[in-house]
Amino acid sequence: MNGNLYKPLKSELIKVIDESPLIKTFVLVPETEFSFATGQFIEVTIDGMGEAPFTPSSSPLETGQLEVTVMKTGYVTDHMHNMQPGEKMGIRGPYGRGYPIEKFYDKEVLILGGGCGFAPIRSLLYNLIAISDKLRKVTLCYGSKTPEDCIYKPYIQELRETPKFEVLRSVDQADGDWSERVGVVTVLLDDVNMDIKNSVVVVCGPPIMMKFGTMKLLEMGYPEHDIYLSMEKNMSCGLGKCGHCMMGKYLACKDGPVFTYDEIKDQPHIWN
Amino acid sequence: MNRISIQKQEWDEKLLQSLSSHLIYAPLETEFSCDYVKLEAGTIPEIVYNKPKPVTPLKKFFLPVKENVTIDSSPLLPVAIIGTPNCDVMALALLDEIYLDQEYTDPAYRQRRDNTTIISTDCLSILEHCHCTSYGIDPTGNDHSDISLALIEDQVILTVHSPKGEAFIQSLGMIVTLEPEKELLQSLGEIHSSVLEQLKQQNNGLPGYEETGKLISESEMELWKKYASTCVSCGACSAICPTCSCFLLIDRPGFEKVRQLDTCQYPGFERVAGGEDALNELPERFRNRYMCKYVWKPEKYPMKACTGCGRCIETCIGQINKNELILELSK
Repeated sequence: MNGNLYKPLKSELIKVIDESPLIKTFVLVPETEFSFATGQFIEVTIDGMGEAPFTPSSSPLETGQLEVTVMKTGYVTDHMHNMQPGEKMGIRGPYGRGYPIEKFYDKEVLILGGGCGFAPIRSLLYNLIAISDKLRKVTLCYGSKTPEDCIYKPYIQELRETPKFEVLRSVDQADGDWSERVGVVTVLLDDVNMDIKNSVVVVCGPPIMMKFGTMKLLEMGYPEHDIYLSMEKNMSCGLGKCGHCMMGKYLACKDGPVFTYDEIKDQPHIWN
Repeated sequence: MNRISIQKQEWDEKLLQSLSSHLIYAPLETEFSCDYVKLEAGTIPEIVYNKPKPVTPLKKFFLPVKENVTIDSSPLLPVAIIGTPNCDVMALALLDEIYLDQEYTDPAYRQRRDNTTIISTDCLSILEHCHCTSYGIDPTGNDHSDISLALIEDQVILTVHSPKGEAFIQSLGMIVTLEPEKELLQSLGEIHSSVLEQLKQQNNGLPGYEETGKLISESEMELWKKYASTCVSCGACSAICPTCSCFLLIDRPGFEKVRQLDTCQYPGFERVAGGEDALNELPERFRNRYMCKYVWKPEKYPMKACTGCGRCIETCIGQINKNELILELSK
């Protein structure tokens, strides 16, 4: 952590990877080593333009560089999408409470992700692969709008070849070459065969997907305390002070961003 | 507890001497209001003691409306603030919880807190909308300030509560300190009792802090729509509130960041990149501030998030009276 909480750590953008028409991955090398736990987030500063929160999509075991996968969706992300290798960004963090990996030991892990919500999930998957001897199995259900919007295509292939890991994908609208499921991501839950009593579930994606995904998981019998949600709120300072990410008695930046459903089910505005 | 009695004239002389080593702020009457002003030699005798709530809350000394938080502040002269009512002192205790938390101590806030001695004054009268006692806050002195002060019969009675308060007294060079006379303390006690009685009468029927939280959390949206009908989202209630401390970070070239006080009363406060905004509707925003103060903050912090100063009622251009709303809720 820097001496001053608000001063970003300068980081060089060394590579930009096109993931889909709207999503790019930015590979950053911070001026000093930087570590985070999977599920924690960072604030990325575009000099003089603005700052936005992202959960790194790279492995938490890597400290020399990190990656953020960003959808072009607003002022800051528009600027990011125009940046080139060699330019500088700033990062602050890591902030918040990530995934409690040790609670996943000896369990089956079901991951439900949608759109750019795959970014934090990829970081989690890197971590789970490193400890796969402690897990029973990992099933990823990932949905996107169209085949073109599916991100991390080479990584999906790699994951499918990894023992204990299974990947199911769906798209809302298919084209002629798509051979996997068609429909919203929750249709994939009909295809999974999990030992619910010995499972945990991770959900990350757009709020509407998280809402309906969680409702279906509850219907399937998953306990509320085993459903981990990565909440998307307006995390501005990251320090539990500015108030923008308030969710009732919680501040998503400090008390989250990862919560179990039973922790937040009675708080206001969790899905919007 | 160290109690000192000093003649008002001598106290004024001590303050005059300390102007060379301190920046001192105290409430002064102006044409339109009574508010904190930086003291100069000629204004010391005009300090207003023992009157509730200067127009602006104490937080302005620690959280300026706008400041660059990435530039390290240079050391300043020590600051002393005289004449702070206890509603504001107790509000500062909540800001301390937020800004001085052990994990992320805010550097600028820390520096200002360390550099500032707070000399509160007992409220020996009340103003319209004062309702601190309804929320369990004593308007006649507490130990959260560094020193508390009461001016009575030309005697300044100082009660020292902290090492910082002790250091300030020593810096004044008060070698001879006297215990206040019993008769003086007795008169002060009588005024205190009268103030408490006046507050009780003024706020007859107003529910307590915890009860208000319960009423708000169980309330129907219709009530909020009714009271929000004259709200224009100007944010004055938050700006003037001694406990509202939310802010916006604004980026400046050179990776600098400017903190500007913000409020959930402004549209877009909770908007996320995808466009979702839980507080898009005005009545939701209006209710959010009450929920924050009476329901959510008390679940998170041990301090009260409304200290009953009543400034939000006085400042509202929509003439929304918080206490009328709460009284209606309690019916």
